[in-house]
Amino acid sequence: MIARLVLNGRTREVEVRANQTLLELLRDTLGIFDVKEGCDEGVCGVCTVLLDGRPASSCLVLAAGLRGSAVTTLRGLERNGGLHPLQDAFVRHGAVQCGFCTPGMLLTALAFLERQPRPDRAAIRAALEGNLCRCTGYTKIVDAVEAYVRESHA
Amino acid sequence: MSDAVATREALRVVGQPVARHDARDKVSAATAYAADWALPGMLHAAVLRSPYPSARIVRLETKRAAAMAGVAIVLTAKDVPRNTLATDVPGQTTAVGPLRATLHVLAEDRVRHQGEPIALVAAETLELAQAAVEAIEIEYEVTQGVFTPEAALAPGAPAVHGPGNQLARWRVARGDVARALKDAAVVVEGEYTTQLVDAAYLEPESGVAWIDSDGVITIRLSTQVIEHFRDVAEVLQVPQNRVRVIGTYLGGGFGGKEDVTVEAYLGLLALKTGRPVKMVWTRQESLLSRAKRHPYRLRYRTGANANGEIVAQQIELLADAGAYAYLSALVLLYSTVTAAGPYRVANVEVDARVAYTNNPPTSAMRGFGAMQTVFAYESQMDRVARTLGMDPLALRRVNALRRGDTLPVGQVIETHVALPELCEKAWAALGPPAPPRAPHLKVGRGLACNFQPYGRIVWLHDWASAWVGFEMDGSLVVRCGCPDVGGGQASSLCQIAAEVLGVPLTRISVHVSDSALTPLAGTTTASRQLYMSGNAVLKTARELRAPLLRVAVTLLGGDADELDMDEGNVMTPDGRTLAIAELLRECARVGVPRSHLGVYHAPAGEPVDLARGSGKVFPDYTFGAHAAEVEVDTETGVVRVLGYTAAHDVGRAINPQSVEGQIQGGAVQGLGYGLMEEVVVEDGINLTTSFATYLIPTAADVPDVRAVVVESGEGLGPFNARGIGEPPIGPPAAAIANAIEDATGARLTRLPITAERVARGLGLLA
Amino acid sequence: MYPFEYAAAATLDDALGLLREHGDEAKVLAGGQSLIPILQYRLARPRVLIDINGLPLGDIVFEDGRVRLGALVRHHQLEESDAIARRCPVLGEAARLIGNVRVRTLGTVGGSLAHADPAAELPAVMTALDARLAVAGPSGRRTLAARDFFTGLLTTALAPDEILTDVEISALPAHGWAVEELSRRAGDFAIVAVVALVSLDGRGHVDDARLVFGGVADRPVQARAAEDALRGREPSTDALARAAQVARDALDPPSDAFVSGAYRRHVAGVLGRRALTRAVERARR
Repeated sequence: MIARLVLNGRTREVEVRANQTLLELLRDTLGIFDVKEGCDEGVCGVCTVLLDGRPASSCLVLAAGLRGSAVTTLRGLERNGGLHPLQDAFVRHGAVQCGFCTPGMLLTALAFLERQPRPDRAAIRAALEGNLCRCTGYTKIVDAVEAYVRESHA
Repeated sequence: MSDAVATREALRVVGQPVARHDARDKVSAATAYAADWALPGMLHAAVLRSPYPSARIVRLETKRAAAMAGVAIVLTAKDVPRNTLATDVPGQTTAVGPLRATLHVLAEDRVRHQGEPIALVAAETLELAQAAVEAIEIEYEVTQGVFTPEAALAPGAPAVHGPGNQLARWRVARGDVARALKDAAVVVEGEYTTQLVDAAYLEPESGVAWIDSDGVITIRLSTQVIEHFRDVAEVLQVPQNRVRVIGTYLGGGFGGKEDVTVEAYLGLLALKTGRPVKMVWTRQESLLSRAKRHPYRLRYRTGANANGEIVAQQIELLADAGAYAYLSALVLLYSTVTAAGPYRVANVEVDARVAYTNNPPTSAMRGFGAMQTVFAYESQMDRVARTLGMDPLALRRVNALRRGDTLPVGQVIETHVALPELCEKAWAALGPPAPPRAPHLKVGRGLACNFQPYGRIVWLHDWASAWVGFEMDGSLVVRCGCPDVGGGQASSLCQIAAEVLGVPLTRISVHVSDSALTPLAGTTTASRQLYMSGNAVLKTARELRAPLLRVAVTLLGGDADELDMDEGNVMTPDGRTLAIAELLRECARVGVPRSHLGVYHAPAGEPVDLARGSGKVFPDYTFGAHAAEVEVDTETGVVRVLGYTAAHDVGRAINPQSVEGQIQGGAVQGLGYGLMEEVVVEDGINLTTSFATYLIPTAADVPDVRAVVVESGEGLGPFNARGIGEPPIGPPAAAIANAIEDATGARLTRLPITAERVARGLGLLA
Repeated sequence: MYPFEYAAAATLDDALGLLREHGDEAKVLAGGQSLIPILQYRLARPRVLIDINGLPLGDIVFEDGRVRLGALVRHHQLEESDAIARRCPVLGEAARLIGNVRVRTLGTVGGSLAHADPAAELPAVMTALDARLAVAGPSGRRTLAARDFFTGLLTTALAPDEILTDVEISALPAHGWAVEELSRRAGDFAIVAVVALVSLDGRGHVDDARLVFGGVADRPVQARAAEDALRGREPSTDALARAAQVARDALDPPSDAFVSGAYRRHVAGVLGRRALTRAVERARR
C-alpha cells in the first residue's frame, strides 16, 4: 500500500506494509531518526510528531492510513540550517541531558505555544505532561520554555 | 605544578555553566543513539523468554523456527561457546571473592525467573524474528518457586541455586548496642519496606554488532560499561583483543545498563551468521526482564538520649536478589556501610542479608543499596525528634558526622561534612509556608539527609586512563573510555582539559567510550566517573603541559612555572605570547610529544573485615539534605508536592548547570520512588510490563526542584569535586514521609506512598 | 507488530461490507489509541483492520436543542469547541481529562465508547447525559440508550458486524455539571471518575440529578438511589453528603493489583460529594 504524506514540507508517496507504523516508516524506511522508539503504546512521547500541526504518537499511527497529512519532525523546525530559538533555549538552559525525550518535548512545546503563546509555568508543565523525561526532573525544561516565551515576546 | 590552575579565583572554564557540546547535537536529533544505526545486510534479533518464574525445560526444539523463510539462525545454550560466566564487579580488573557472580547467557535446563532468556533468533526483519520466536517448540514443567526473601531463607524452601538461598551476609558490630539501648532515654522501633523498581530509561536496551574488516567483533550499543568486551570475549571464546565495544551516548542508564544486556547476544549472533545484527528490546521486554532495584525490609531500633544524641542503632536488613546474583552482594555492602546514616553513633549493629528468590533479578540502580537505607534511617530520625519534642533540624545538627569521626565500619571521615549547613539551606530554600487551600487539605514539611559513597570501594584498586593530544593547528583531542549517560560526562572532560591547557572549548573534540580506541576509564556508575576520568584527564593534561612549557621557555625565556596557557596561546607574565601552533612545531622539531596518555590510580586499600570495623571501604562520600512541602488531601489520601529543595555539597561544581540538572533529575526519580513507582510481582509474575502500569513522574506530578549547590572545596575529584550522580536520589522518599507525618500525624513506612496507603494511614478505610 | 491486513473504507456501506466479509477476524480502526497498543502487546490479533477514518462522521452538529457527535469526532474537538463549552460543557471537561495531548489529537468519541474501558470518562458522561448511541449494521440502523450500551468489561451491545456512527444528546435544561476523578498519576487512567449533573427549579430545589461513576465496576454505574434521594430536595451540604453516601454504599468495586475495592468505594463517596457540590454551585449561577 501507499502512504501519502507531506513530510517536513515535502510531498512523499512511499510503499508501506499494512502493519507498518508511521514511526517505522520514518526510521526504517526513510532513515529519519528525529523520532525515537520508547514504549510502543503512546505513553512516553519520544515518538511524537506533529500531525497536521497537532502532537501525535507516531507509534500508534498506521502509515497506510496517511492520506496527505502534514507530518512534522524536528528537522522541520530548523530555520536556514540553524537552530530554532526554542532549541537554542534548551541548550542554554541545561534542558537536555540524555536527549532522548528532547525531540518530542520540543515539538509538543511548540505546538502548545501556537495555541497558548503566553503560558505560566503551571500551564507549561500541564502541556508537557504527556512527554516523559527520566533525567532532568523537568525543572530546566520548563525554564527553557519559559525563557523562550519571554524572549520571543521581548 | 604551581597552580594558577588550582586556586578558585583563577579558574576560567571549570566552574562555568557552559552549554554542553552534546546538548547541541541532541536538540537537533543529530546524535545517533544505539538504535539509530543500520548496516547493509543487517539482521534483526529477538529473544525467547520464559513465561514461568520457576520451571524445568523439558523439551526445546528449534528446527521448525530455524527453517522459516527469512530466519538466519536460532541459538540455544548449547550453541554458546561459554554459556556460564563468573563475573566480577563490572569494569574492574581486581577481583574480590564475595562479589563474584555467576551468569548464564541462555538458560540451560532450568529457568529461575519470568523473562529468563532461553533462545535467540536472527532474521531478515524484526517481524520475522518475532514470528520465529513464537514458532520455537518448548515445553516446561513448572516447579515450585519461592517469592519472598523470608520464605527463601526458611528451612525447606525450594532451592533457587544451591540449598539455603542466602547469597550474601554482611555484619557490622561496634560498641555495645544491647546495653546502649537499655540505657537510652527513648528507643524508636520501626520496620520499613521498600519496593521493586525499574530504571525505566526512555531508551530501551539496544545495539548493533558486526564483524569488522579486520575480523574484530564490534558491538555498538547503549551501555554504561564498555569493559564488557572481556565478558563477550569469554562467552565467544575468542581473545579479548578480538572484541570491540563502542558505547553510544545513552538515552539514560541509571545502573540498568551496567550489567551485560544485549552485547553477548549480539556478539554471538554476529559471529555465527557473519552478518551485522541489531537488537532493540521492546519496552515490555525491558520492564519484564531487565534487572531492577533491590526491595528491602529494614528493621531499626534506634536509641537516643534526652538531649537528642543517637546512642545506638540496631539494624536488620533483608533484600531480595531475585533469581541471579548480579551485583547483589555489593549492593548489600553499600547498605551495610550506610545503614546508620550520616551520623555519629557509638553503638551500631548491622545484620544484612540478601536472598535468592524466583522474582525478577535485582542489580545496580542509582543509589545502589545506599539509597534504600535512607528511607529507614531518616524516618527513624524524624520519629526520634518527634518523640523527644525536638526540632528535626536540631536533631541532625547534634548528630551529624564531622571530619575525624569514624563510621561504624571503621572508616575515618577525612573530608569536610557540610550536613548542618545543607540542612539549614535546604529548609530555608522552601521559602514561606504555603497557606492551606481548604480545611481538608493539610500542609506539612519534612527534611531528610543522606550520604552516598562516590568512587569504587577501595579494595577494587580503581583506575582510569585518558589520552590528551594537540593537533598541529593547536586544536585539542581528548580520548577517554568514559561512557556518557547523559549527565555531561564527556563535556566535563573537555572543561577540565580546557582549564589546564588554555584551549577554547570550541577547539576541543572528545571521543569517549570505545574499548579499542579510547583508553579505558572504567564504568559510568558508582558516581565515580567525574572522580576517576576527570582526575585522569586532569593528570594527563598536566603531564602533557609540563614538557610543552619547558620548550616554550626556550622560545620565550623566563620560568616555566610563570607561563600561562589561555586562548590558544602561551603567555609570559609581562604579556608576550606564543601561539600554540608555533610551539607545537618547535616541539616536533626537538622531539617533545604533543600528546600524552595518563593513568589515575585511586587510593587503594585491602578488603576489611566489616564485622571488626577495621577500615576504609569507600574513598569518600557526598552529603545532602532535602526538604519537601506537601499538601495531603485528608479525604482521599492524595499527596501533592508543593515545594522541593535539594542541597548537596559537591566539593566543586565543574559545570554548575550540569550539577543542578543531576540534583533535580535525581530528586525527581526519588520522588517517583517515594510516591508512585512499583514493579508489582505476584508469585513471580510481573504485572507491570508497560508504561501504562509502571508509572514514572510526569511534569505535572512534581514541582520545580530548587537545587542548592554548596562547594566546600573538599573532594577527591578534579578541582576538589565530589560525585553527584547518585546522591540526590536518596532523600526524597523520606522527606515526603516526614512531611506527611508533619501534616497529618500519620507515619507511612511502606513504599511507594500511594494515596491508598495514606488513606489507610489516616484511618479512612476502617 | 505481527502481520495483519489493512483495508480502508470510503463509505459506511464499505465498512459494513468489510465487517460482514471478515466477521470476528476484523477490528475497526478509528483513532487507534486503544487498539494499536493492544496489537503491539499481542493482547488481540485480528487478521484484518478496517480503517474507518475516511468516513464522514467527524461533525459536531447542534440542532433543535440537541447535540449530535459523529463517531469520529476527536477528543480535542470536544475540548476546544466554543459551542460545546457554551451548550454542553461537561463534554468538554470530560474530554480534557482523557489521556494525554497525543491521545486527544487522534482518539475519537466513538472509539472511546466502543472500547468501553470502565474507568474512561466518556462512557460515564454519556450515561449521565442519557445519550442515545446510533449504530449501523447489515439490517439497518438502531439506537440504544447509553445505559444499555455498556454491557460488561470492555464489552458493549455492538454486534461484531455493527459500527457506532454517532451519539445524540438532548440538551438538558440549564444544568450544573462537574467531573471529578482521581488517578495514580497525572494523565493516567482514573481510579475513580464521577460525573454529576444537577438542575434546579424555581425554588432552588433539585429538579433533576444525575450521578454516574466510572472505575467502580465493569461498566459505568448510575447511582439511581442517590439521584432519587436528591430530587425535589434542597441541595444543602447535608443532603449532598447523604446522597454521596447512599451512592457509595451501593457500590462494590473490585480490587486489582494496584488499588483495592475498599479504596475505590471510599474515593467514590468523596468524589461523589465533591462533584455534586460543584454541580450545584454551577447550577446556581
